[in-house]
Amino acid sequence: MKTTVLPEILAPAGSLEKLKVAVLYGASAVFAGGQKFGLRTAADNFTLDELREGVIFAHQRQAKVYVVLNSFLHDKDLVELPDFVRFLEEISADAVIVSDLGVVRTVRSISTLPIHVSTQASTLNVEAAKFWKSMGASRIVLGREVSIADAGKIKREAGIEIELFIHGSMCMSYSGHCVISNFTQGRDSNRGGCAQSCRVEYSLEDLNTKEKKSSYFMSSKDLQGLRLLKDFIDAGIDSLKIEGRMKSHLYAGTMSKVYSEALRYFEEHGDFLSEDLIRWEKELSKVSHRAYTEANLSEPAGADSIFNERENFSGGEWKMVGTVINANPNSGTVIEVRNAFNQGEELEILPFRGEAIVVVASEIMDLNRKTLARTKPTTIVRLPFIHGIGPSQLVRQKTV
Amino acid sequence: MNVTGFAQNQHDLSLLKDSGSTEVILGMREFSRFGRLEHDSFIKLSMAAKSLGMKVIFEWDILMTEEIFDDCAYKIHTYAPHFDVLRVQDPGAFHWAVHRSEKPIHFIAESGNHNLEGLKGWCEAGGQKIERIVLSIELSRDTLKEYCAKLPVPCELLGLGRILLFYSPRSLLAPLNPEKIGVNEEIEALGESEESPHKGFPVLENRHGTFMFHIKEFCLIEYAQDLASIGLSWLRIDQRFNEKNFFSESVKIVKRTAMFENFKAAYPQDLMRGFYHVNKSDVLFPKLKNMRLQNRHGDYIGEVLEAEKSSHLAILVKLERGFKVGDKFQLIHPKGEIFEGEVHSLRNVNLEEVEVVPQGELALIPFIQGVWVKSQLFLKSNT
Repeated sequence: MKTTVLPEILAPAGSLEKLKVAVLYGASAVFAGGQKFGLRTAADNFTLDELREGVIFAHQRQAKVYVVLNSFLHDKDLVELPDFVRFLEEISADAVIVSDLGVVRTVRSISTLPIHVSTQASTLNVEAAKFWKSMGASRIVLGREVSIADAGKIKREAGIEIELFIHGSMCMSYSGHCVISNFTQGRDSNRGGCAQSCRVEYSLEDLNTKEKKSSYFMSSKDLQGLRLLKDFIDAGIDSLKIEGRMKSHLYAGTMSKVYSEALRYFEEHGDFLSEDLIRWEKELSKVSHRAYTEANLSEPAGADSIFNERENFSGGEWKMVGTVINANPNSGTVIEVRNAFNQGEELEILPFRGEAIVVVASEIMDLNRKTLARTKPTTIVRLPFIHGIGPSQLVRQKTV
Repeated sequence: MNVTGFAQNQHDLSLLKDSGSTEVILGMREFSRFGRLEHDSFIKLSMAAKSLGMKVIFEWDILMTEEIFDDCAYKIHTYAPHFDVLRVQDPGAFHWAVHRSEKPIHFIAESGNHNLEGLKGWCEAGGQKIERIVLSIELSRDTLKEYCAKLPVPCELLGLGRILLFYSPRSLLAPLNPEKIGVNEEIEALGESEESPHKGFPVLENRHGTFMFHIKEFCLIEYAQDLASIGLSWLRIDQRFNEKNFFSESVKIVKRTAMFENFKAAYPQDLMRGFYHVNKSDVLFPKLKNMRLQNRHGDYIGEVLEAEKSSHLAILVKLERGFKVGDKFQLIHPKGEIFEGEVHSLRNVNLEEVEVVPQGELALIPFIQGVWVKSQLFLKSNT
């Protein structure tokens, strides 16, 4: 009997805490950035100590850590790169994600770290994959313009590992080919300074008709490929990437949980039932997002892939209220509160596997065990001990 | 300084020839982002250029998913007898040109190639076939000087023309007029946003997707002599978007036979030098986040999660050895203020007095006036 090799679920880790959340909720790999060389300058990112701790934490749980070096580096940045690459090799990072050839050559010259070519390089075809392979890359993160079918073909014909985005925000431009921020705001979008100029409204005057229309014409809907999971598996895609290092703990946890659960289900049953897909989609929808599209995964993205709206996010009817810090009969369930909730309200705690646990905040106490009627953000509270709950689990609440 | 440019018709070609150009870039609609030549017009113009003794450069600068790539790679053989050099940007087209074509290559390294190591890599990968490399307009003069000196092939730079800001394969203008969806015709618009001080971005949709350009054109022709002195071999004049072709006038500026101020006054678009003098497009990065909170180094104890007035500070301990009674510490407030202290009393999450709180657990120390949540705690010895 042919054994199907399941792809890894690659989740974003914008910080050490998010790395832990993603891994605990089932991600088989995470991608993270140091303080330099990545594309998310505004993210917390990792100190060297945190990277070391993150790699140890992930490896103890059989998960991999890929470190982004995917800025288009200038010469002065390259000077500082070798020390960081040697450090990554020393802590046993599993790969580096790289956009430009200078970085590929630098990494290759001083380390044996596997090199994944970033989506920033806009690798779109077999010949391009062959090129990067010949330069020493072991995996290609394909451009988001590539369909699942073409990704399978690229894998077969170029003979290289393939990673494809399955979820998250999308650049409308070919990645790495947008310099709006560079020339209008003096911030290099391809070195972490993207100002998201594609998300604002433009007034557009047709030069032929002179008609003026307003539109968010450069803003893309978010990618969501859950229903195509079987196609990803059948095409032999090695890694399913979830975008979003800037996004919340709830996002990192929910995405990792849903997609890894779906893969485990497939491993057990060999297919998906529509009722399960519906259930997982509902879970995905509980996290803030733009309207979803399958973009180019099946066929070229059409007009319905444009998110022609101001940045209002669906999923806002659910909010993350906190993270479990501790749970035992002595301390109770200790929660770091991010968003307020009231005594008597229903909460959901997300276990690392399985259905959300519904609890009623029947009694809330502060750390000094004084009873509260309402929590406040950036405080720590105690709920009664709930069996089966543990540290790092996420707590959410329906708001409407 | 050599000058190159595009021809979309016989008139353009004559301007290039009369201005002393020895080559012409021809863009076919199927292969080139902004090319407008069809099969017959390409062959005709190519033959005309050759009859004038000009080298024909075939522009294949679109980015391609697999189906489009296969189609282009199949069709390009038809045109091979009619051009001398292949000009590519997609790494796939580059690889194909190196391994599957006999033609010399001009590699367009305008996007994402801002270090010498990478540019050398493209040259090595192309070997003897690389005849020229087209550099990014984001490079400063000093960087250009270094690259021109150290790269093994002649370098080209845009001397005058539109600045491409955004390239999407999606049809983004046609959906504004649903009757145009799928028609595949060129649509041109001017865009402006209330959130940007810049007004009038040219936007173009064609069969290859949607493109947005800067409101000003890039212009370095006034620095042509300087560029020549630092080793640049080729300047490119791109007049494909202007009603009147200013190629001849531009070459006069390059050759210093006309005044740039007069040229600038007559030119239909505003002009800019971009990053020619200096590229500081990373200097704002430190302002994108609170750098005071980023210094979580080896003596990092943890972050204050709760600051309960008159009671306690609650800290989630990150330090591997734990947080102990007797530890001297510094607290760095998100606004930068520094507080110092020593642990005399330490409680755990069960409110028990303890000597040490291990890594990963909550530690409570007495409240310190002025300390907020998100303050960072460090062992004092090395902070």
